Amino acid sequence: MYKERIAFQGTLRQLLEKVERGEMIPKLQASHAPPCKFWTAFMVINGIRHTVPIIHGPTGCTYSVASAYKMGSCEYRGVPLEPTTCTSLGEANVIYGGERELLEAIREADVKYHPDLIVVLSSCCSGIIGDDVETIAREAKDTVKARVLAIRSEGFGGDFRSGYEDAFSAIMDLMDPPEKKMEDTINILGARVGPTYTEWAEDLDEIRRLVDAMGVKINAIIAGGCTLEQIRRAREVELNASWCYDWGQKIGQLMEERYGIPYSRTGQPYGLRATEEWIMGVAGPLGLERRAEELIRKETGQVMDEVQYLRQFFGGKTAIVEVTEYPGPIRALSLASMAEEFGAHPVVVNIHPYTIKERMPSIKFLLEQGQNPEVILTKGLFSLGTFRSSHETEEELKAIVAEYNDAIYLGNPRRYPDVPMVNLTTSTGYPHYGYQGIRNIATLAESAMRNSTRPRSKLFQQVLYG
Amino acid sequence: MTDMAEAIDLKIAAAERCHDPYLRCAFYGAAQTAMGVSGSCVLAHSPQGCYQLVEIAFGWQSEDYTQTEILCTKLCEDEIVYGGETALARTIIEAKSLKVPAMFVLSACGPEIVGDNISSVCEELSMKVDFKIIPIECAGFRGSQYDGVDIALDTMLKRLAVDDKQKIPDSVCLIAPHANANPTWMADLAWVKGTLAKLGANVVATLTHRTTLSEFENVASAEKSIVLSHDAGQKAADHLYREFGVEQLCRGIPLPIGLTNASRWLIELGKALDVAGVAEGMVAEGERMVVEQCRRKGFDLFSLSRLSTAIVADATVGIPIVRLAVEDLEMVPTLVSLRSSGKAAEELLGNELRDLRLNPSVVYHTDLYQVRKSLAEMRPKTVFGSNIERHAAEGLDGIDYVFQLINPIQRFRMIDREYFGYTGILNLFESIQNDFWDRYRSKRRRYEARW
Repeated sequence: MYKERIAFQGTLRQLLEKVERGEMIPKLQASHAPPCKFWTAFMVINGIRHTVPIIHGPTGCTYSVASAYKMGSCEYRGVPLEPTTCTSLGEANVIYGGERELLEAIREADVKYHPDLIVVLSSCCSGIIGDDVETIAREAKDTVKARVLAIRSEGFGGDFRSGYEDAFSAIMDLMDPPEKKMEDTINILGARVGPTYTEWAEDLDEIRRLVDAMGVKINAIIAGGCTLEQIRRAREVELNASWCYDWGQKIGQLMEERYGIPYSRTGQPYGLRATEEWIMGVAGPLGLERRAEELIRKETGQVMDEVQYLRQFFGGKTAIVEVTEYPGPIRALSLASMAEEFGAHPVVVNIHPYTIKERMPSIKFLLEQGQNPEVILTKGLFSLGTFRSSHETEEELKAIVAEYNDAIYLGNPRRYPDVPMVNLTTSTGYPHYGYQGIRNIATLAESAMRNSTRPRSKLFQQVLYG
Repeated sequence: MTDMAEAIDLKIAAAERCHDPYLRCAFYGAAQTAMGVSGSCVLAHSPQGCYQLVEIAFGWQSEDYTQTEILCTKLCEDEIVYGGETALARTIIEAKSLKVPAMFVLSACGPEIVGDNISSVCEELSMKVDFKIIPIECAGFRGSQYDGVDIALDTMLKRLAVDDKQKIPDSVCLIAPHANANPTWMADLAWVKGTLAKLGANVVATLTHRTTLSEFENVASAEKSIVLSHDAGQKAADHLYREFGVEQLCRGIPLPIGLTNASRWLIELGKALDVAGVAEGMVAEGERMVVEQCRRKGFDLFSLSRLSTAIVADATVGIPIVRLAVEDLEMVPTLVSLRSSGKAAEELLGNELRDLRLNPSVVYHTDLYQVRKSLAEMRPKTVFGSNIERHAAEGLDGIDYVFQLINPIQRFRMIDREYFGYTGILNLFESIQNDFWDRYRSKRRRYEARW
């Protein structure tokens, strides 16, 4: 059964090569769809305070992103409710165009809401009928008080990743030429809404705590609740950083190329080594190595018991890593790196070739950094059928785990292979990053070990897999 | 008494260009409707973002992910430039492996503007697959989600209803139960079905919730129909009357929310089904039960008496709740702000306000800006609304309570709770009373405990 169900087994580098050669088709099946470019561009814009997005499109796109991200921010990220507007394009606009309505909407939004920033986002409708949102935004900007920005974000115009990247790129147009350098000050790049869906606000709190402890100031978290004023001054910082190389990569790289601001390229700070790398990645360019070393020494000393436990937990084991919750490869690879640091042999399961293609620059970066774990893809990963009921991959995972005598599982609690299962869901409320994260992960590992012989809840099993 | 009809301030949101909408688009409404067909597969012929709307519709119909499939053609620039019919055909063929009874193909804005002919693709492939394929042209720009419900019902009835059915005595077809902003509207539907059973009627089709294809095929056998929404479904009822002589019941009266509305609706139904006595008995028993429960369970909403209130809702819940607020809770509506606007709903609300001798400000087809502005100007003490108004009312001194009754609400509901009927009244009271007391719960401690 095991071999029959394996679609790929090799290293990350080998998988990447196969994707590049077109031997593994990097396309998701029809039953699996991430958000479109419009949704992700909106996510970025939603992370800037006192901004009025004007979606040049029908109401469906608008209410949906407002409901998902704006209301989500109100509920879980301490953000007050602000508008999410649209031009409500109808059939007449599809025939005759909607540029005039858009221009009027921009002026109306300025009067109604008094925002700092108005961002026009195009939709499929306005994109196909040829409404020129960029020209209209330029035309409008002299007649309104707010800054006006336009993003070509038609849903068909690119995959989810292009929405983030185009929005980040557009944000750079808001950055003023620097008047001075802000000493020991950084921007954190790559946030949307708040942080992202693969991290929780508490992860960002831990990053902020470590940065503060080095005496480093944060100008802006772009775009995790930053202001227009912070964006305008973003070029005055000494360094850009991100909690994850992947998320900040595009804007970090562009700011480096255009403005010469260095970008700290580090992975997600899971475990001791990655956290140290992250801290030194910020401290090095700022000349704060001694403060950073002191911080690392102090913080490491405080988590030595947990580190010892994690070494014992992982040592000599095979760590099966699967991130099913939001099936991105970067988090899985970061967790694999942490498992390796603590002495395990990591095997990353089911990172879709599609996500390898979408995150190609980051995957290559991780390979350059020496991360090249074993990867297994199963046939169930490519089957047609809802992602939420992935019973095939559940069975396949169990078969993979059974091949090892000493496996432990790191991932989402929707899975329950017959080995210690470390519940690394991101829906937590406590950080996995940094030193606080080490404490929390050690607690989770201990619980996994102590309860490894307990059976899966019959209820959970039936709800998830029928 | 002055002529209240003259005094009613019926405003429709001005022709503004910049909207902060409460409603999704026609594509979503059609997806909600298609998702109500059991075991179906819904294929979004669209870019991948529209798939998210179908996913939300999936949740709205409380579908089971082990039974219902959602697919998407994920159209990109190539398909917009050269057409997406090939991608659609390929995806339909791929779906053969899913073994579904029917597939609904929904076209979004992009493919409709570029002229993809989904009907012809579906027809061409119908011989190559062993499931029915029903194309629905429901691009988002065709209107609101309620327009989408009507578009989908129209297509489904035209394609699936069979005209050679014998009428079944005392049979009823229920229309648009899902166009109702009670977050667990399916309980309202269950209450209606239970009530009809007690009145000796037989529901032959529900359009749509857990609906089988045979229900559509048999819909012409219904003698009567009931529209369970003031926002959508009237066109389907008219179609059924025109094509199959299905007579609509309870037309022009508010849905059964609150004591008077429940009574009026039941009595009307009883008369139409020739069981007036049974209906009267149900009213008497229901009212007795509500009063007893209120006595026994610590009902304590007397404090709301004569407090001003805003009602921000869909027409389906919003119109009947006006009477509940006035008659059952002795409150004073000063604003009625409805998310949709239809001629029948406007007439119905107008009649209700005249009958209740009320003169609130009324806004149809409202948006969030209008609501925030109205709340800021009028500062009602209470709001019957949703989680959106809970946030929108932040910082507006004087608005003390926002009762979350309308979708979206902040609370997780595992059990479906009806608003219709007598248990529905208690469900509403329970939500209102919980929100009422939450206002008073201590948000901070005055000193630290010593242990």
